[in-house]
Amino acid sequence: MSFDINIILRYYPELLGGAWVAVWMTAVSLVFSSAVGAVVCIGKLQKYGAANRLATAYIDLFRATPEIVLIIWVFYCLPLLFDVRIGRYGCAIIALSAYGGAYMAEIFRAGVQAVPRGQTEAANALGIPIFHIARRVIVPPAIRRMMPALVNFLTELLKATSLLALIGVAELIFVASTLGSKTFAYMEFYTAIAVIYFMIIFPLSVYARRAERRRLRRTGN
Amino acid sequence: MTETAQNRTNGANGGEPIIVCREVVKRFGDFTALDAVSTEVRAGEVVCIVGPSGGGKSTFLRMINGLEGIDGGEIVVDGIHLPGGKKDIQNVRREVGMVFQSFNLFMHMSVRQNLTLAPMTARKLGRAEADDRAERLLDRVGIGDQIDKYPSQLSGGQQQRVAIARALAMEPRVMLFDEPTSALDPEMIKEVLDVMRELAESGMTMLVVTHEMGFAREAADRVLFMADGQILVDAPPERFFSEAEDERQASFLSKIL
Repeated sequence: MSFDINIILRYYPELLGGAWVAVWMTAVSLVFSSAVGAVVCIGKLQKYGAANRLATAYIDLFRATPEIVLIIWVFYCLPLLFDVRIGRYGCAIIALSAYGGAYMAEIFRAGVQAVPRGQTEAANALGIPIFHIARRVIVPPAIRRMMPALVNFLTELLKATSLLALIGVAELIFVASTLGSKTFAYMEFYTAIAVIYFMIIFPLSVYARRAERRRLRRTGN
Repeated sequence: MTETAQNRTNGANGGEPIIVCREVVKRFGDFTALDAVSTEVRAGEVVCIVGPSGGGKSTFLRMINGLEGIDGGEIVVDGIHLPGGKKDIQNVRREVGMVFQSFNLFMHMSVRQNLTLAPMTARKLGRAEADDRAERLLDRVGIGDQIDKYPSQLSGGQQQRVAIARALAMEPRVMLFDEPTSALDPEMIKEVLDVMRELAESGMTMLVVTHEMGFAREAADRVLFMADGQILVDAPPERFFSEAEDERQASFLSKIL
């Protein structure tokens, strides 16, 4: 059996379309994950009380559920349970954001807690209002500290979009298997999407590494 | 007594009490860190607090600006009573500057930003005015040329001087120093102590927790000896270092002098 590169070239618009769907699913889910994560993180940072317990329950629940189960559940069960109609793309974003929110909350929390206590203490001692302490003293170094974890999660999220094929979202896996069943060139198309995933994810990790080094050179911590 | 110390002592005698502590108590669980501590500090006075570690020195200092809560008694700073509401604590902190052992500079900000953040957010100063103040204060502590560097590019001594300037940028009425030279290499201690001496001579009210007995001897108006959560001795430096009134003080002095 030979590898027919021409068939990939012939169908490259379809493949690119699949890549595009994967990328924007990731982007939209990342935005919503961040919003959910920020709220859950604030809850988790309370030392005790209902907000902390709720946040902990949320994180435990969604981290202990496989993404694929979550995706299927949102697509097949959520509409029946609440009698609503949500498109497959909407379901995809809900599932990925719910899953992503739990991880982002933990990434945010780790970032905030990695900022040395002395920084907040000094800001308090100067009488800086709490809002400005959060915005100027805690968040910037927290974001820098969480960058590696954030990029790592971004790649996980992109890889998780491949599961959306199961509910008919036309991302890369879905496109490759559709094209494969049409042309029987499964090997070519599955190889092609492996390369596409790599080409998107690898530069991201290189960029993250470089950014981290630049930061170290500039501020030394 | 040196001439400058003499002048200051005279000035201090005329000053109003700016910090009043009455029966101040602090507990950490079952451990009593401060056991009914009472004292007064007058405006313009320089008070050094010495004593063995774990004796409550830092805790006492940190209670004066509300970094530690008060479990009993009260502290009055410039007319504001603690314990009080969030507003009271915030008001006290604006009048009381603090310098930490580990500098605690904002590492992601330039020296300039370190100095302008508090005046611009807590005092609502304009950028130009805050900038001017930052430049003036950095010149005063002798590192005006480092204003656009980041803390990690400075030596420990320079960082601590930035920290002093950062606290002064709020134009506080009182400065607290929590072992300001303990984290420094020996050759950098002097440059920080020189800045503190200059500050003392300018009439700033200062409370200094320190192990630098030389500094206490020449710059302080009073030396407090704290151990077991109490002020055991409160004396002018000449007397403090020549005749021990307390057994623990004697043993402490024999170990460090």
